[in-house]
Amino acid sequence: MKQLEAARTRVSPVPPAEHRPVPRRKAAWRRGLAPYTFILPILVFTLLLLAYPMFYSLTLSFQDATVDTFVSGDMPFNGFANYQQTLSTGTFWQALVNTIVFTFCSILFQFTIGFLLALFFQNRFPLKNVLIALLLIPWIAPVLTAAYTFKGLFNEVGPVNQVAHWFGIPSLPWLALPGFALAATIVANIWIGFPFNFILLYSGVCGIPQEIYEAARIDGASYWRRVGYITLPILKPVTVAVLMLGTIYTVKVFDLVWIMTGGGPANTSHLLSTYAYQVGFSLLNFGQAAAIATVIVVLILSLNLFQLLLQRK
Amino acid sequence: MPLKHPLTKFPLCWKFFVCSSVAAVCLGTARSETTVEIVHYFTVPGQIQGLQDIQKDFEAANPDIKIKFTYIPFAELLSRTLQMAAVHKPPGISCIDNPDVRHVAKSGVLQDISASVEKFPTWQDTYPGPKHAVTEGTKVYGVPIGSNSLALFYNKKMLSDAGVTDPPKTWDELKEDSGKLTKSPVYGLAISAPNDEQATWQWEPFVWTNGGSLLDLTTDPAKQALQLWVDLVKSGSVSKDCMNWSQPEEGDQFIGGQAAMMVMGPWMLGQVHKSGIDFGVAPIPVPKQGIKPVVPLGGECWCVLKGDPKVEAAAVKFIEFVQDPARLETLCNTFNYISSVRSVAVKQGQANPELQPFVLQMDTARARPEEGGANYTQVSLAARTAIQQALTGQATVDAALADAAAKIKPLAEKK
Repeated sequence: MKQLEAARTRVSPVPPAEHRPVPRRKAAWRRGLAPYTFILPILVFTLLLLAYPMFYSLTLSFQDATVDTFVSGDMPFNGFANYQQTLSTGTFWQALVNTIVFTFCSILFQFTIGFLLALFFQNRFPLKNVLIALLLIPWIAPVLTAAYTFKGLFNEVGPVNQVAHWFGIPSLPWLALPGFALAATIVANIWIGFPFNFILLYSGVCGIPQEIYEAARIDGASYWRRVGYITLPILKPVTVAVLMLGTIYTVKVFDLVWIMTGGGPANTSHLLSTYAYQVGFSLLNFGQAAAIATVIVVLILSLNLFQLLLQRK
Repeated sequence: MPLKHPLTKFPLCWKFFVCSSVAAVCLGTARSETTVEIVHYFTVPGQIQGLQDIQKDFEAANPDIKIKFTYIPFAELLSRTLQMAAVHKPPGISCIDNPDVRHVAKSGVLQDISASVEKFPTWQDTYPGPKHAVTEGTKVYGVPIGSNSLALFYNKKMLSDAGVTDPPKTWDELKEDSGKLTKSPVYGLAISAPNDEQATWQWEPFVWTNGGSLLDLTTDPAKQALQLWVDLVKSGSVSKDCMNWSQPEEGDQFIGGQAAMMVMGPWMLGQVHKSGIDFGVAPIPVPKQGIKPVVPLGGECWCVLKGDPKVEAAAVKFIEFVQDPARLETLCNTFNYISSVRSVAVKQGQANPELQPFVLQMDTARARPEEGGANYTQVSLAARTAIQQALTGQATVDAALADAAAKIKPLAEKK
């Protein structure tokens, strides 16, 4: 028994405190501190590169930070003036509505297309892997390339109008028509984003055991019943993740819209992101731009909360 | 293992410290030269070459000064310049677009260099427009590198095919000829009216020539000028896509043969030449014969930033060096700009017929900040929104302009 005890002591990774040369109190302190040292790098990283900029942007939104005050550094606090000014601009509300429409439509179609494709790829067929690789191209392609390509497609003499012409639809200057311009950017964004939805949902679908489907089939469940009662419920965690990430990605889209329309015609296709950029970097009103950026953050947070609530139910 | 006392390691560190500090001191004293960093957004190979040539000549003539060019993308030049100044690391010179100079000067980062500039022989000979863009009262915040503006490019073959003998001189002719030249898929005229400064810039020749002003958009001259554009787009002579074309994209339409004429600046000359199109350049059409076209001025300015006095002096020296007429002519030719100095510009026009319309327009050309001063960017934003609203048919010309005028009024008063 005693031998066993001794052996145990020998193999135990942490020798009892009395064997160590350090005083007991110091050891306890060290042991308590050790876990924190492990998270120190990520803590520093988060504080320095994430929390500080967020905090800075938030304070900036309460300051009179324009080209006149920025350099001298004495940007006086002006309460809610930036927000007041922002909320009283028509373009801001238009941009807010656009952002919501853009996000909702993009996610709706990206998810539906991604989900249907995932279902389709549940089957076995030749060239399946090649097709999966090809489907990922929009996600891999640089947004810059995609944006310029879609700008060309929606040209007044571009391919979209030529196809429309075959069906007797008069050609439209898509990107120069209020409303249509935003629709065109949504189409482009759906194209860019559906592979992301597809690949995540597909990997989720692959993880569902075939036995469950077989059992359901023996019970006589039709295909769509199996989808509705097996695939969808099992995929719920994946769906939550896909929708959440998708929302974040979509609300902050900037480059695509900036290149395709520049917020035009007449500021009708601005998203909050492009509007913030215009206010900040073209009009050099940094305070107001920060206020718009804060609205974007609040929007992302509230959309995600809303989604979580829906999922709970 | 023999235990080493920790202090025995010190001599090595010590040696290293001494060596490095000696090296640093040596390097420091050897480099008594001043470095002038010049931030810019030029990307055209010809422009870069022109700048490098001047750098070489200048450094040979001034061995104690080094020039360092730093490229910054167009959209970020202003914010980066301000940022660098805010952290007390200003560049020596920033090549700021002329309508922004007074806007930036307001922030206090630019040095007033009037004392030196007024001694330049070329300064007295500088056109009033470019001078205006860099002057605030008695203070001078920059020296124009060169100027550009807008004129009418036309495809000679397309004009003669359509039976148009001369490029249009008046608005009526412009409308008529554009209509004649439009044959699907070719549009008679191309303009650039996207949702940024380019739209205002391209519209200004029309509103200004007609005697209008951005600060008073509800007057007839402004309404007529916008109506002209609306008519051109509505009649199909100008593609509605012009609301999405930046000027390079507009240029592609002309080069690609999809537009018979275009409103464009001299920076495009090189590319059009390369395309092999037989083309000519005419002054901007005017409302009625006999009126002189008034075009907006483009082009960047050398602006000295407040900082180390030694660097400031070196920067001024560089600017003065560039002001040599021969050097100025070479630089402006490589840039495809018109010199802001009259005697040099006249020479350029004589040597190059395509530049001649631009040179002729220089006398009446206006700096954009003449309208709104430091608030020009906001004035322009309101004006371009009206332009796009009218072109898309979202609002009538009158309503769109009235809306913009309401936004501009407080800005003009704030001046």
